[in-house]
Amino acid sequence: MMPDISTILEVLLIFVKVGVVTMILFGLPLPLTWLERKIAGHIQVRLGPWRVGPHGLLQPFADMIKLLFKEDIIPDKADKFLFKIAPLLSMVPAFAVFVAVPFGDKLMIPFINKEVTLYISDMNVGVLYILAISGLGIYGLILGGWASNSKYALLGGLRSSAQMISYEIAISFAAIGVVMIANSLSLVDIVNDQGNGILSWNIFYLPVGPVWFMIFFIASLAEINRIPFDLTEDEGTLASGFHTEYSGMRFAFFMLAEYIAMVTVSILSVIFFFGGWHSPLNIPLPIPPIFWLVAKVAAFIYFFMWIRFTLPRYRYDQLMTIGWKVLIPISLVNILITGLLRI
Amino acid sequence: MSDNKNSFNLMDMIKRVLFTDFMKGLTITLGYNLSKSITLKYPDEEKWIPHRRWRGLHTLNRDASGKELCVACELCSKACPTGCITVIPMEDDTGRGIADRVAKVWKVDLVRCFFCGYCEDACPTRALRLGREYELACTDSKCTVKEREELLKPQSVPESIEGGFIVKAKFEKTPEGIKVVPDLSNSKKRAW
Repeated sequence: MMPDISTILEVLLIFVKVGVVTMILFGLPLPLTWLERKIAGHIQVRLGPWRVGPHGLLQPFADMIKLLFKEDIIPDKADKFLFKIAPLLSMVPAFAVFVAVPFGDKLMIPFINKEVTLYISDMNVGVLYILAISGLGIYGLILGGWASNSKYALLGGLRSSAQMISYEIAISFAAIGVVMIANSLSLVDIVNDQGNGILSWNIFYLPVGPVWFMIFFIASLAEINRIPFDLTEDEGTLASGFHTEYSGMRFAFFMLAEYIAMVTVSILSVIFFFGGWHSPLNIPLPIPPIFWLVAKVAAFIYFFMWIRFTLPRYRYDQLMTIGWKVLIPISLVNILITGLLRI
Repeated sequence: MSDNKNSFNLMDMIKRVLFTDFMKGLTITLGYNLSKSITLKYPDEEKWIPHRRWRGLHTLNRDASGKELCVACELCSKACPTGCITVIPMEDDTGRGIADRVAKVWKVDLVRCFFCGYCEDACPTRALRLGREYELACTDSKCTVKEREELLKPQSVPESIEGGFIVKAKFEKTPEGIKVVPDLSNSKKRAW
């Protein structure tokens, strides 16, 4: 039996969306590396990349060419199979998360008069899916660290697994808080719940909103291994952690996963606490909703980079203390208060 | 501090909850992020013009009427700690120099020279000066030895300019090599 034309179109549309999102995600680390180095430069009163192209804009392409042509070294005593598969294991979940991430609600395409949703799928367990899939990314890190057969890589991998497990709890609690406020696990519903101007955003759901946001933000900083929680690749003590032995494109895959993870948590912060694609005020101008999402996410990405060049790194025991003794008790209390408020 | 480590300090607690230290740090880095970079854009756009006391590439001077001041007395080569200066005198009455004795060969091996300036101190006629040319890198070992003819040409920064500032410059690539040409009229007074 031949499926009818609208079903085929539907399937085709999903493929197109997946393709577009994947292409954007593959391209995104290029401007982000440039931005990161530029911000690093300016915060340290330097210029950052400058020589390759105007304002160093072509620097990421030069880096990409360099990484492509670099020798792909596999250590002699490494576990070859795991060593090769680890970068993919950390990259694929980073991409897979975006299946459930909405970029906007519905969009009318003008010429064919068809409504297109700006998300690949609106799962009714979206939050759960994202937490689960992003948790899988850790396999890449720990297998990479293990397969390298190097003490630095192994220690880095172990640290990252301990760190991820500790902070995953806090991040899940923060997500639970948001779910309790929005009464839904679907990310689209969570955003639409915050649609009535800036005061309906979850961050202004006083008194628990800001606390949830702080918990979510700190825990997600730790999840994506960025300063001040980048103990997995602590240059001072671990050379560069789990990817010490990696070079060339395999190293690039780890970097790609890291940058995409940063974009993911930026988008999630915006969706959970800052109203997603809704504008903060009722502006009569016809600004597309996607603009608000991109602007907010960009602000978050800048904030992540700004923090990176502001704070020093935490010690390992401090990291564990913050995770287990501060964030988790606060989230437990916060769940109680949120529950009382939602009765 | 260590005595009352366990005692409860309300002010401390409030500060910690409101992330005041964190905010202070962020304000400082934001200020730097918005401030102007202090990087000298050499060689693309800017160049440092050294002071007169700078000891760069040797230069041989002429007097006001264009005669060579060098009398080939060889004091510079005698004073040189590394022996990098070669002077061969000759007799010449065509009026090339200020005296009948002029240099047939005057060359300096820049690879051996360490720019101590003893040669210019020894020079009795002030013919020899260490100038302000400092871009001495080249692609050929031949150009590390500078001959009299080349050193007699006036350098790009004239003696009248005091130096000690940054000027706009142009980065020029030619088959002979690269050069950063300063635009001496367009100076930036900037702390260095």
